[in-house]
This record gives sequence, structure tokens and C-alpha cells, in this order.
Amino acid sequence: MASSLAARRLLSRAAAARRLPVPFASAPAPAPAPAAMGSRRFSADAGPPPPLPPPPLEPVVEPPTSEGAGTSSSSTTAGAEGAHRSSPGAAAGARRQGGAGYEEEQEKPRMGWSESAMVTGARDVGVSPAIVGAFPRKEAALVEFFMDDCLQQLMDRIDAGEGEQLKNLILSERLSKLVRMRLEMQAPYISKWPQALSIQSQPANVSTSLKQRAVLVDEIWHAAGDSGSDIDWYVKRAVLGGIYSTSEVYMLTDNSPEFRDTWTFVNRRIKDALDLQKTFQEAAYLAEAVGAGMGGTVQGVLNRVFQKRSG
Amino acid sequence: MAMQAARRLASWSLQRRLLLPSQVQAPSIPTAAAAAAFLHSHATSFGYKQVREEDKSKLVGNVFSSVASSYDLMNDLTSVGLHRLWKDRLISKLNPFPGMKHLDVSGGTGDVAFRVLERIKSVGHRAMQGTLTETEEDTHIYVCDINPNMLNVGKKRAAERGYSKEHCLSWVQGDAEALSFEDGSMDGYTIAFGIRNVTHIEKALSEAYRVLKRGGRFLCLELSHVDVPVFKEIYDVYSFSVIPAIGELVAGDRQSYQYLVESIRRFPNQEKFAQMIQEAGFQRVEYENLVGGVVAIHSGLKL
Repeated sequence: MASSLAARRLLSRAAAARRLPVPFASAPAPAPAPAAMGSRRFSADAGPPPPLPPPPLEPVVEPPTSEGAGTSSSSTTAGAEGAHRSSPGAAAGARRQGGAGYEEEQEKPRMGWSESAMVTGARDVGVSPAIVGAFPRKEAALVEFFMDDCLQQLMDRIDAGEGEQLKNLILSERLSKLVRMRLEMQAPYISKWPQALSIQSQPANVSTSLKQRAVLVDEIWHAAGDSGSDIDWYVKRAVLGGIYSTSEVYMLTDNSPEFRDTWTFVNRRIKDALDLQKTFQEAAYLAEAVGAGMGGTVQGVLNRVFQKRSG
Repeated sequence: MAMQAARRLASWSLQRRLLLPSQVQAPSIPTAAAAAAFLHSHATSFGYKQVREEDKSKLVGNVFSSVASSYDLMNDLTSVGLHRLWKDRLISKLNPFPGMKHLDVSGGTGDVAFRVLERIKSVGHRAMQGTLTETEEDTHIYVCDINPNMLNVGKKRAAERGYSKEHCLSWVQGDAEALSFEDGSMDGYTIAFGIRNVTHIEKALSEAYRVLKRGGRFLCLELSHVDVPVFKEIYDVYSFSVIPAIGELVAGDRQSYQYLVESIRRFPNQEKFAQMIQEAGFQRVEYENLVGGVVAIHSGLKL
């Protein structure tokens, strides 16, 4: 179980690394498989990490975020029920350089997305915390790894069977469900998510985080059944990207039970967007018609110009 | 004038390169025989002179016994104070954490060790320590050097800085090729300007691999090869004319500094050395050139 977890993490790394340059959503299923087999071998050799017991939660002193401290004290009470789990540590992050590097997803509700979380994570897994020094952008690496991991989990869930359920729904509901599935993965870490967002928006990290979000939105559209013309492709992704980001931020201040308000928000935004898209399409048709009319005039002029030149 | 060029290069040329098998100055496909031949030639070279393998260690020892008292001053003069920046860069790459067990080999006068200690004790780390279960009580820094004179200078400097009662700091006499530490006992291993003087480099590297824990990092700061066209000539002139002269004036020992400069040239270049580190078992080996290649920091990870 633990080794499959490690393998899953490795897969996400490998998968995300391959998907990044490709704008087409139709990455063939067999292609990731050989890499996955190779990567699984790595993590198997490295040995499965021991699963972690839930940590004794204590209030976190996190100097920059006072909001973090406030919400973490509420998380200590919830933690007793095991609501905030600490995910087991070692995950193999595949690197170009050969050999597996390890990233730790560790006790984020307690420590936030910080170097101390990585150091503690390394200790818990049984690896020297010196390895944290090998990451060039430490906290950013942790956040990016988490984003990749969530994306991979989403894709796994879609492939595993939830994709079938989606077929019975209309488009707006499909999108809502997918966005909800993805945002729910962040729910356990919501108290520290503002920190993760701020890390992602730092200049050094912003290009990677934008790429990851683009890939995520691409995947969601692909799973929801993407069929459209060229201009539509960009519009769809941009619109959904906007909806996703605003919902993510909305979720940060949502105190309703099980984030009900957030899901309502997502549903409404997606419905609005699809209505808007119909408007866009109609506007596009109108523009075509007008263009055809005008184009006749323009084409006539151009023909005469070229006749003159060749003649 | 050379110093200005060096300073300018120091400010823009931090080039980081991963190990690429293609660009190697030595024979591009190192056969076992070629590698063995190179290592043998390092073991029997004392600068540009040829010596017996058994004698090299003693000769190097003599060099350092004689330069020990003016070692730091000479460092400052010959590198125009840049060695401090280089060591700072080494420590920031190492990224020390509270509770770390660190080994600094051939770090006789303690420069690297003091920096690690100060970094761990610094205010920023106190904030991090509040969230860590292990305290800096567990931190321990070992300074290992084969030469007792260098260690004595280091202990004296520690006393000057107020570290004489410091229980985190230990001064150990030992050979880099046969360390007295247990397997997998160190989080970090640094060797600053020392690997050049070791008789058998591969033994030192495999000892480093042995004492590191899983996840531990190996960092080596060493004078290396410059390829930048014009700067290379300036550097050569500086090395062979200016440095031994300063050695004679300040330390009264021209021969030792002649050896120092020659041993830099005999040492393998960045790519070759990175390959050697990889052969010792380290992964994710990479190097960073400072000042256009005058100094290189090689790093590797034990997994």
C-alpha cells in the first residue's frame, strides 16, 4: 500500500513532466505506462516507507500568517478526530539526473508549506534532512509536488470509474463535479493553503504554477468531453482557469459545513460561463456574416489590385 | 587589474552545470585503465614533481605544517578576500539545519565549521527550530584534519570567537582516506580546498560515501580549471608568478606555494571530477563554477 503510494507519486511526477509541453489533451494511455513501469521499479528498489502514525497536533507558531495560527488552533481540535491526517512521507520525485529524489508531504496542517515541514518529513521517512538542501526552491518544490500529486489523483479517479458516472451528466454538471473533485483534495490543507498560494505567486515560481494550472484545466476539459473548434479551445481553458482560481480563493474563506457554499459558487459560475459561451458563439457567427459581407468588398479590391500587377 | 576582472567575473559568472557525459577534457570514454592511470598519476605527483606514493602524504604534511600559521592570511591575500564569499556560497548550498551532524574534512582552521555553526545558531533558524521537535542540542560539527598544526590553529581561532566551551564542535585528527567515523553517521560532508592534497582521491570519495547517511550531501569546494579565453592567461600568470612571490614575502616559503599552484593544475577538471564523484556512488552530481572556473563547488547526494 505504501509502495503503491510511492509509485503513484512517482507516476505523477513522470506524467506531469511529460504533459507540460503538450497542448493536446489526448495524451495516449499506453505512453505513460512504460515510464510508469520503469518508475515503479525505482520505488520498489528504494523500499517502501513506513506509514506514519497521526502526529500529536499542537498549535503552530507560524510568524507570517496570523490567520494560519488562528485556523491551526481550530485544526488541533479537529485533529483529534483524525480529520487532518499527515500523509505518509516518502515519495519518489523523478529527476532527469537519474536516481530518485525524495519529496516529503508531511504534516502540512501543522507546519505549513515550509522548510521545517520538509525537514521533519525527511526525518520521519528515515532520510537525512540534508536532502532538503538539494532542492533549489524548497517550499515551492513541495507545493508543486502537491499540485502534481493532486492532478494525478484526479486522473486516476477519472480513469478508475468515476469517468463513467460523468457520462450521465450534462456538460455544466460534469465540469462542476470535476472542479469539486479537485478542490476537495485541498480541503485538508485549507488552513495553510493561502501560504501555498503565496508561494506559487512568487516570481521565481509563477511560471511553473501557471503551467501546472494550465495542465489541470486541460485535463478537466478533456475528461468532461472536449469537442470544439480552434478559438473555442483557448476560450474554454481560459474561462475554466478563471473559474477554478476564483473558486479556490472563495474556498479559503468558506466556513460552511463541507464547503457547501463553494460548490454552489462553482456551479453558478460554470453555468454563467456556458451561457456566456453561447453568447460568444453567436457573436462569432454574427462576425462571420458581417465579415463575409465586407470580405466581398475587400476581395474585389484585392483582385483588381493583383490583376493590375500581373497584367 | 586581474583582481578587478576576477571581481567582475565573480558577480556574473555563477554557472551551474549538471554532469553531461559529452564535454570532458580528458579522454571522453574513460576506460578502467585510463581512470586507473590517472588516479595513479595523481597519487605520485607532488605538483609538477614526481614522487613515490608513500612519500606524497608526508610531503603534503610538511607543506601544511609550514604554512599553518599564516594559512588564513595567505588565503586572504591570494584570493583577494574572495575565499570568504566562496565559503559562504558553500554553506548556503549545504543549507544546515538544527540537529545536523556535519563533518568538515581537511577544514583545519575551522572556516567552514564556524560558518555552519553560526548559521544553525542564527535567529532565523531559531524560528524554524520552534516548529521542529529536535533541538539544536543534537547538532554536532566535526572538524577533521590530518595535520595537527592546522587543528591547533583552528582551536585557537575557536577560542578567539568564544567557542572554546562549545560542545557542538569537535576537533578530530584523521585521514580523509580512512575516517574514524561510523557508517551512515553524518548528514553533511564538506571538504574545502582539501581534496587536491589527498593522495588517493577515490578513497576519500568512498569514505565520504560511507560516513554519510541516506539523504546526506557531499559538497566539495576546490580550485579548478578555467576555460574562459582571456581570463585563463591572466589567471595563469597570477598563479605562477604572483602567488609564489607572495608566499615568499609573507610566509617565507616559496616552495609550498609553488606546490599549491602546481597541484591545482594537476587536479582533474570539473567534468572529470564530477564523474569520479558519481563513480563513488553519489547521485544528482552537479557542479557550480565561481569566478569563471577558478573555484568549483561539486555536490552529490547519497540515496
